[in-house]
Amino acid sequence: MNMDTKTKVKDVIVKLLKVKPEEVREGLSLEQSLGVDSTEMVEVCIALQKEFGISIYEKEVAKQHSVEQIAKVIDSKKK
Amino acid sequence: MIKKIAITGFGIVAPSGIDKKAFWANIKAGRSAIKKIERYDSSLYPSHIGGQIHDLDVYSHVSSRLLQKIDPFSHMALIASEIALKDAGIDVSKENLNNIGIFMGNALGGWLYGETELRDLYIEGREGVSPYMASAWFPAAPQGQVSICYGIKGYSKTIVSDRASSLMAIGHAIKILAKEKVEFILAGGMEAPLSPYGLLCCNTNGQISKNNEHPEEAYRPFDKHRDGFVVGEGAGIMILESEERAKKRGKKAFAYITGYGTTCDGVDRIKSDPNGKQLARAIRMALDDAGYSPKTIDYISLDGAATLEGDISEVAAIKEVFGKYAKDVPVSAPKTMFGNLLGASGAVDVLVTVLAMEHSLIPPILNLKDIDPKCAGLNYCRDRAKEHNIRRAIVISRGRAGINAVLALEKG
Repeated sequence: MNMDTKTKVKDVIVKLLKVKPEEVREGLSLEQSLGVDSTEMVEVCIALQKEFGISIYEKEVAKQHSVEQIAKVIDSKKK
Repeated sequence: MIKKIAITGFGIVAPSGIDKKAFWANIKAGRSAIKKIERYDSSLYPSHIGGQIHDLDVYSHVSSRLLQKIDPFSHMALIASEIALKDAGIDVSKENLNNIGIFMGNALGGWLYGETELRDLYIEGREGVSPYMASAWFPAAPQGQVSICYGIKGYSKTIVSDRASSLMAIGHAIKILAKEKVEFILAGGMEAPLSPYGLLCCNTNGQISKNNEHPEEAYRPFDKHRDGFVVGEGAGIMILESEERAKKRGKKAFAYITGYGTTCDGVDRIKSDPNGKQLARAIRMALDDAGYSPKTIDYISLDGAATLEGDISEVAAIKEVFGKYAKDVPVSAPKTMFGNLLGASGAVDVLVTVLAMEHSLIPPILNLKDIDPKCAGLNYCRDRAKEHNIRRAIVISRGRAGINAVLALEKG
């Protein structure tokens, strides 16, 4: 996994949801660490699309995913 | 059936102050909070004055994460609800959540959120619109946010009935409490109409004052030189419960709501019927519901639309019901100090009346210098507050298309 992607994903989430970086816990899903709901996940997808300039669909990244898992999905789409 | 419904706590979020201490200090001093709207360039609007709240965030415990998802009218409702529950000494987590209700009213919904997202839709396309738009702008959003915040699950309702919305919400709430469907209710209303499009709609409606040069003197109901009301933003929420429940938990009631009446004019899509017959019927309905004779009323909180038909019909209705006594019973429209909070106006008027009862002081109606001869014959409390013992009062709230609502109150 590209560490740069992981950092960027985390930054997007922190900025969008107005949470502290330490609230985004390693290895936990966004739902577990931040209580992200499905509507917030729509916003997360849109923000990630803007950040990385690629199409990311809600079926590809879900609230059950961790930052690391989301970064992996993005890396695989960039290839 | 329960008859007396107690007000055991309340929260005010208004241009004259947040929380009752600051609010009442301004009201009893007769201080106007009407100013030019400077949040955005409103100077091209025919009317660009209003009652604004500038320090909402100072009183808020709402997270910035949630604030992105809600309109200011829900934010105001959350703050007013928190203050009201604290005032009533209620810890919701220790209550049966199925037995708590929420009855709230507003006229417009959350326009700031709605119009901002519509702008984004036309500029950025579909993906520019927040997925929260659907749940942020609609009139029942504040009810939803308050229920989520506290986990409240009981019988609840949002009333949309123009400027009479919150008074009608309180009226419905007391009926539900009387039927013992819930233990207590958060009742009231909220409105945030000073967004660019919201204010434009108020302007095109044609009922608001264009006296931009003298904001503090603009709202002058029953005056010969009236030219409409002034819009304001805010919320008023109260805790309603049976007299028995209040006594059981050792909480003194600030006041009791004892009667409610509502009618429709059935005449015009905007204006009130000038003869005031249906408002008179609503007043009688509230008095009969409470078991009061007109002579026992110590104070009337007026709607004060500051439109020709609104004012003369209100005066005609009072004269019809109160007869000879109409010239004696003190009347006022304290909203001349902070603006007409549209759907929230009735609830805030009730709370001002409760404070007036507590302090034995009638708040003034501002700017009534030259009484319209068609509105003469009432005992207006002009310019400054007047000491007066208030045991019983009525509060009148009206909306466009001839909606009339009246509540009867008694001191706690």
